[in-house]
Amino acid sequence: MTSGFSAAFAIAKKDIIIQFRKKFEAFAMFLFALIAVIAFSFALVSGGSIPADVGSAMLWVIIFFMGMFGFAPIFLSESETGTLRGLATAPIPAWAVYAGKVIYGFVLMGMVVIFLVPIISVLFGFSFLTNLALTIAVLIVGILDLAAVGSMASALTMPSEAKATVFPLVYFPTATSGLILLIEITKSIVLGDLFIGIGIMGPEQTVMLLFEILLAHLIAMLTLSASVFHFALSP
Amino acid sequence: MAVSKNRLIFLGITAAISLLYVYMTWIFSPPDAVLGENVRIFFQHVAPALVAYGLFGGTLLCGLLYLWKGDLKYDILGAVSIKLGLLFTTITLLSGMMWANAAWHSPWNWDPRETTTLILWVAYACILAYRSSVSDREARAQFGSIFGIVAFPMVILSYFSIIIWDTIHPRVITESGLQMEVEHMMTLFVAMIAVTMIALIMVDLTYKVDSAYEKLMRIRMSRS
Repeated sequence: MTSGFSAAFAIAKKDIIIQFRKKFEAFAMFLFALIAVIAFSFALVSGGSIPADVGSAMLWVIIFFMGMFGFAPIFLSESETGTLRGLATAPIPAWAVYAGKVIYGFVLMGMVVIFLVPIISVLFGFSFLTNLALTIAVLIVGILDLAAVGSMASALTMPSEAKATVFPLVYFPTATSGLILLIEITKSIVLGDLFIGIGIMGPEQTVMLLFEILLAHLIAMLTLSASVFHFALSP
Repeated sequence: MAVSKNRLIFLGITAAISLLYVYMTWIFSPPDAVLGENVRIFFQHVAPALVAYGLFGGTLLCGLLYLWKGDLKYDILGAVSIKLGLLFTTITLLSGMMWANAAWHSPWNWDPRETTTLILWVAYACILAYRSSVSDREARAQFGSIFGIVAFPMVILSYFSIIIWDTIHPRVITESGLQMEVEHMMTLFVAMIAVTMIALIMVDLTYKVDSAYEKLMRIRMSRS
């Protein structure tokens, strides 16, 4: 167990150091997000503003699309530089490779989102200040969820002949379930008192339920992916 | 090629039950108090929906079996499950749109149940597209199985969306039992049996065709 986690951290550390040297991917993701904001603004802005719940939902849609394009290199770069075999044949458990990549994906996306959230909240006109603690919790769980899904999707593109083209196809079905939950919870934070809850449940109960489902989803995706990763990494 | 006796019997029973189903849908079931004659689309919507979920469950099972045993037969069956699951989801969506148009005068309402079923359709279409991009047979089976397994939580979310979200989608099966007239209940029961049996026949036939095709490909490859 200890060697598994230390291997995972070593892999994550390697990727993070490379990212800090090149900075390319993080910067590209950030620019892509801004482009998406502008593109969406043409569709959504009416009367100079966007409704708060729509704007906050767009934040997650943009993060989702950023992942579609930012998580593909997680394994693609290993394949291109020829180091994928090294990872596959190293004397470490396969789940450790997966865990390391998830941590890296989380850090990569996290770095971009830290800058992105304040900018988008100003541009799209919504505020997370009504419940900052929950916002941070949701951001952390959400980005971890997307990183978990993105790393798995990246690994799955390896045997394909058109790796980059096929990545969105693999990423979408697995990430959408998380996306739906994230948008719902974020809407509740942003609407504040206006949020009514679902059915017979009150607003606080609804948010707690959704957050629990989100956590369950994260744990399910991580466990499922880590268990089958052994098959995804065969040399 | 002669069809085996058991298969013929199964085919015969399916034909009989299907005829019964048609009779029950059109003649036996009374018009609904609210929907009128339009209630008849209900049976052709619910049965394929549940069969589609079953087939996606079959995909998960075949994926797990392939990873465990390594026999390509499981992968062929898994691919058949996805294709037919897609077909039945299409039927579900189309019949659902017909019903929505009849009941609420708008074929698509972005109701969570409708939306998650659409997402399910796209998800499984993505699996098929992904599979066709992998040319190595064993790699396709291995990675296709993993993808099928990892995509399954979407099915679970789709199933529970009707419970979690406030939806206009009618909830027919509640804690107090089935909420509809007796004739409709009976027709639905027969519909389920008929559509399930038809689906099983289709799975069997498609599996045979796909297996034969693969065998043919292997013979061609070994000869060239």
